[in-house]
Amino acid sequence: MSKIIGAVEIGTSVAKVLIGEVSEDKSLNIVGKSLRKNEGMRKGEIVDFRKTASSVHSALEEAEKMSGTTVDSIYLAQTGSHLKGSLLRGSANVASPDGRVSLDDLKSAAAEAKRKQSAPGRSYVHHVRMPIRLDGRPVEDPVGMIGRNVEVSYWSIEGDESAIRMNLDIAHQYSLDVEDLILSSIASATLVAGPDLRRAGVLVIDIGAGVTDIVLYQAGNIVFTTVIPVGGDHLTGDLSMGLRVLEPYAEELKLEYGKAQPDSSDSDHELWIIGNKTIGDRKIPRKAIADIIHVRTVELFEIISKELGPLLQAGELGAGVLLTGGTSRLPGIEQLASKVLGVPVSKATFPAGLGNQLAQAENSTVLGLLHYGLEDHRLPGEHNPKESSGIFKKIGGFLGI
Amino acid sequence: MSQDTFFDDNTNPSSLENAYGIRAKVIGVGGAGISLVDGMRFDNFDSVDNVIIDVDMKAVSESLSSQKISFSKRHTRGMGTGGDVALGKRLAEEEKDKIRNQLEGVDLVFLLAGLGGGIGGGAAPVIARLAREHGALVFAFTPMPFSWEKSRHIQAEECLNELRVHANAVVPLPNDSLLQMGGEDASALECFAEAGRNVSRGISAICNLVFKKGMIDVDFSYLRKVFSARAGRTLFGYGKGEGQDALRESLRDLMVCPMLHMPDVSKAADVLMIFIQGGTSLSMSGLQSVSKEIRDAFKAGEEVVFGAHVDENMGDQVKITVLGATSLEPLIKPADVAPVSQQVLELSSQPKQSHKSKLDLGPAKEPASPAKAKRFGRSKREENHDQNTFPFMEAHNQRGIFDDLPKRNLYEGEDLDVPSYLRRGVKIAI
Repeated sequence: MSKIIGAVEIGTSVAKVLIGEVSEDKSLNIVGKSLRKNEGMRKGEIVDFRKTASSVHSALEEAEKMSGTTVDSIYLAQTGSHLKGSLLRGSANVASPDGRVSLDDLKSAAAEAKRKQSAPGRSYVHHVRMPIRLDGRPVEDPVGMIGRNVEVSYWSIEGDESAIRMNLDIAHQYSLDVEDLILSSIASATLVAGPDLRRAGVLVIDIGAGVTDIVLYQAGNIVFTTVIPVGGDHLTGDLSMGLRVLEPYAEELKLEYGKAQPDSSDSDHELWIIGNKTIGDRKIPRKAIADIIHVRTVELFEIISKELGPLLQAGELGAGVLLTGGTSRLPGIEQLASKVLGVPVSKATFPAGLGNQLAQAENSTVLGLLHYGLEDHRLPGEHNPKESSGIFKKIGGFLGI
Repeated sequence: MSQDTFFDDNTNPSSLENAYGIRAKVIGVGGAGISLVDGMRFDNFDSVDNVIIDVDMKAVSESLSSQKISFSKRHTRGMGTGGDVALGKRLAEEEKDKIRNQLEGVDLVFLLAGLGGGIGGGAAPVIARLAREHGALVFAFTPMPFSWEKSRHIQAEECLNELRVHANAVVPLPNDSLLQMGGEDASALECFAEAGRNVSRGISAICNLVFKKGMIDVDFSYLRKVFSARAGRTLFGYGKGEGQDALRESLRDLMVCPMLHMPDVSKAADVLMIFIQGGTSLSMSGLQSVSKEIRDAFKAGEEVVFGAHVDENMGDQVKITVLGATSLEPLIKPADVAPVSQQVLELSSQPKQSHKSKLDLGPAKEPASPAKAKRFGRSKREENHDQNTFPFMEAHNQRGIFDDLPKRNLYEGEDLDVPSYLRRGVKIAI
């Protein structure tokens, strides 16, 4: 029997739903997709629950209709600057007298790591497992090996309980179970940075409409995540104020003429704000648009650089920095980012095999969610390895990684 | 136009008459307040006095102002407070009587105070409170520190909030915005002078309205009534035009006035003062349509003060000044209104945070869905789009894009929702 999985990203500008079908021969098809404008959210956080819920629900409805199936459970992306990541560690002494590690040892180490309570009003969203250490050495699967102590650690993300609650409520109101909450940056990175890149070290920056999600991988593991509450909407807001035009016009000017760095072609070039010769329309220099965007974009990468601090080292970033998210479409943004961060930066590319319509920078999170849902994140030994690698191989083939 | 001649410009000696017996006083508080007062001339208004207040003896003695209050030397040995707001406040409370003396018989107070300083930030709210207790109408113009002066900026914002509790309207003049004023290569000095001119413009417009006879006059008691509510955010802007189409030109200039495009500036006004000055060619129909557009642009309620003065010396020039405020107390709207004001009323009674809507992008776009339009109370406006409206200043989007969010987006003391170019002091030439 085939399995249906759903991916929902409640983005600041658009709510996105994808429905994937994993068939019996373990191949994945995207059978439903839908986008709905979301007006109830600012900077990755819900400010109008009803508006947000209705865009998500109508996107779900459309995606289900398109797929001809119904979804029971979904993977839900989480973002917002209230999310904070930290490292949790747990260890356990090997219980059996012959010193062989059992699954129970791993489980109790994991339980210890996750035992740390979040502060009142906060709760954990996502525990990402780091490599298991057996007597201090990293090992893939220690079960059956001989040792004294196993250590299991997680990169754990906690956030504001009511903000997370609202996201879950939107799913529950549609009678959906939430299989897992996944940090948006991790979802995006799962798609655009394959295992090879993660092993080499990669920084994925997903610049959306409301926020910028960041995840840093070193030696295949997550070492840092953060959410910066600045996104494409800030470019629009700055343009709206700086050019003294309304937000919709500012948005259009950004999409049509925006670039990260002013260049010589901008000087003496003037644009009409509306362009249909309406009375009240006026001309603005093209350079002003580029200037306003430039200052904001430089500042964003400066903040990223400050947040990463000493973690940002070219030597640790074999695969460099990948930009994705809708705002990464801004022409020239990768050169600018490279200049500010001092490391090579490129725009993320998508695995082959996705339709052109889907393979767009702004879709990397929602696509990544589906992908993440298919990867295995359990403790080794908790699953049947054969089956897992089967799914993984087929899906990997489909997504081209 | 230099600062010194600003008042002269507006003065038609024959109309100089103050029959109302109203007294106004400009009070400069602290260093920034004093230099603003010193930069102004009050010759043309018999009923406008000025007084400066500080604790820094040097600043007080060097001021050109004729009346001065110097706070007790006891605490600072005659020097400044060093930015200590609590001290500024304490000094003002200690010298309450001296301040009260200055407020005797004053109906209209213009409070000029740089809120980044100890005296400006600490004493100004106290003085505003005392003035209100004396029954005066208090308008404050307050220079704000640059946002990169982090702790000082945060302190100034706290003072601003306190001042707003007491004053009838507070117009913040952020230093961040200085750079966006004046010409492309304006020097720092010119920028500061421009900021001073803004204050002069505001005070001059209100004084002209109150003290001079013009074409359409406003009774002081009406002004007082309109601005009597506790003010929330304010807006203040000006525009000028010249030539055949001067009125329309000045409206266009007003709409792109840098003072109206600052974070923290209200884009909607529950109470609004519009003041138009022009030469003899000022036409009634022109005034009517321009004032309607201004009211629409700022979503004004019924509380509108409109004044227009004709000055033969102005030739074909027109100047518009607007001052508005959101009210912290909800206004109760009467049920039946004249048909003319119906649209305005309907609009102002709607929630104002509808800016996120991208549904109606103006006349060039597909029409908004009826349901949405109705929800925002804008259907009527939609139909009334004619060639004279300014679609890029349309009302639904008038609040800063992140304005409605409850908390500030602070990073290292800077609010990231405030445009970077303002915080980083990058001049945008438009």
